[in-house]
Amino acid sequence: MLKVKNLHASVEGKEILRGINFEVKPGEVHAIMGPNGSGKSTLASVLAGNEKFTVTEGEVEFEGKNLLDLSIEDRARMGLFLGFQYPVEIPGVTMANFMKIAVNEQRKFRGEEPLTAAEYLKMMREKAQIVELDTKLTSRAVNEGFSGGEKKKNEIFQMAMLDPKLAILDETDSGLDIDALRIVATGVTKLHTAENATVVITHYQRLLDYIVPDYVHVLYKGRIIYTGDRTLALKLEKEGYDWLINDSNE
Amino acid sequence: MELRDLIREMVPVKESLTLTASGERPYVAVDAAHLTVVVEAGVDAHLVVLHQEPKSAEVTIRLAEGASLTVNELFLAEAFASVTVAQGASSRLKLTAVELGSANASYTIDLAGRDAESEVNGVFLTADGEHARLAIRTNHLSADCRSRSIARGVAGGRSVGEFEGMVYVAKDAQRTDAEQQNRNLLLSDVARIETKPQLEIYADDVKCSHGATVGQMDQEAIYYMRQRGLDEPQARRLQIAGFVGDLVLHCNEDRLCEAVSALLEQKLSKM
Repeated sequence: MLKVKNLHASVEGKEILRGINFEVKPGEVHAIMGPNGSGKSTLASVLAGNEKFTVTEGEVEFEGKNLLDLSIEDRARMGLFLGFQYPVEIPGVTMANFMKIAVNEQRKFRGEEPLTAAEYLKMMREKAQIVELDTKLTSRAVNEGFSGGEKKKNEIFQMAMLDPKLAILDETDSGLDIDALRIVATGVTKLHTAENATVVITHYQRLLDYIVPDYVHVLYKGRIIYTGDRTLALKLEKEGYDWLINDSNE
Repeated sequence: MELRDLIREMVPVKESLTLTASGERPYVAVDAAHLTVVVEAGVDAHLVVLHQEPKSAEVTIRLAEGASLTVNELFLAEAFASVTVAQGASSRLKLTAVELGSANASYTIDLAGRDAESEVNGVFLTADGEHARLAIRTNHLSADCRSRSIARGVAGGRSVGEFEGMVYVAKDAQRTDAEQQNRNLLLSDVARIETKPQLEIYADDVKCSHGATVGQMDQEAIYYMRQRGLDEPQARRLQIAGFVGDLVLHCNEDRLCEAVSALLEQKLSKM
């Protein structure tokens, strides 16, 4: 589904990603961990197509297409979803209206008819339940005045609405209390199927108690320096990154 | 429903109108050069003022004690309109002006009777080489009155948008509560916004606030929307619509709101 080969990217002339390699297959869950500043969020942004970053080398294949050639919106319409670390507020634009346009754009891209108002409302109600999102929030402006927990639930609600092939969740767990974390993580787990894949970027092992990864990658100074299974996350929680970093510096 | 059809259901007004009883149907004045409206005590009414031709218009409105009037003024052509409203005690005015291109609209509201309240909302959207001006002057002449004037402007292309606001509080107008706010969005490097929010206060027991901002499109929001599958023009349009939307949609009636929204959409597709 996703093949990342020797990906290098920089921002304002500073190289952040320095040769990333990994592959995601349908049905898999990958976790990307690593100390602050290692390039985790940059990797997510580059895959989503954020124009702040320049890809200087490497290839990314998504669903058989050259991802780096595609616009931000075409990547999204093809089924790449990014859960934002800091969801953006859009004053005056209701969540319901925003998602209606997004869902119908995706349908148009696939050659499907737009949803009727009734179909859309039904869909919205069903998907809101997955993350226990109060449907009243959908009539409010996007993320405006939402609490930290509501913003993150809202990201997963949008993920549910758009049913992506590949979801990249950038520190969706940060700033959540235990209950919100459980709801968000359970939501992500419910959305997981054998056909889609999830990449979770996280600092903490606690999210991985709910979302069990097949692979855990450790990113350090713009490279994946170690890949293990779920037990790696537990070891990192206990021992930190030092043992890996010292290894990789040798 | 289109605006044209909606207007046919309203009561047409030519030059003068005196309202002695509240009615269900809104009144509409289309391209009136001179218009005088008197709303008598306790009467509640809705007036739509439409400019479809590039003419000048002078509108004089008087609200008697306890009268209440909602006005929607819509500029579809480069008209020059000057509107004055004299408000008696405990009267209520809610006026919304929308300039969808070049136009010059100026409002003078006299809060002449105690406990009168006015809410004036103005929006202008200019593209290409258009020039819109919006001036709102509120005169607090009596004690215990409240006023709110909120203006939003969006200027694209090489256009110019001007806002001039003035809240005047006379010496005897104690316990005035006035708010004046102007926010603008610049869509291009060569578009221009000129804003002049002013206060002139002679009473000593008042609550007055004013502010003005000029900003650009929020690129983070555009990125966020594109990541959900909207293309860039769609994302920009949605952001602009969100910026002016809640003001434009102060129209007292759903069908009028829809008609105005549709016109707004049309305008946005050209910005």
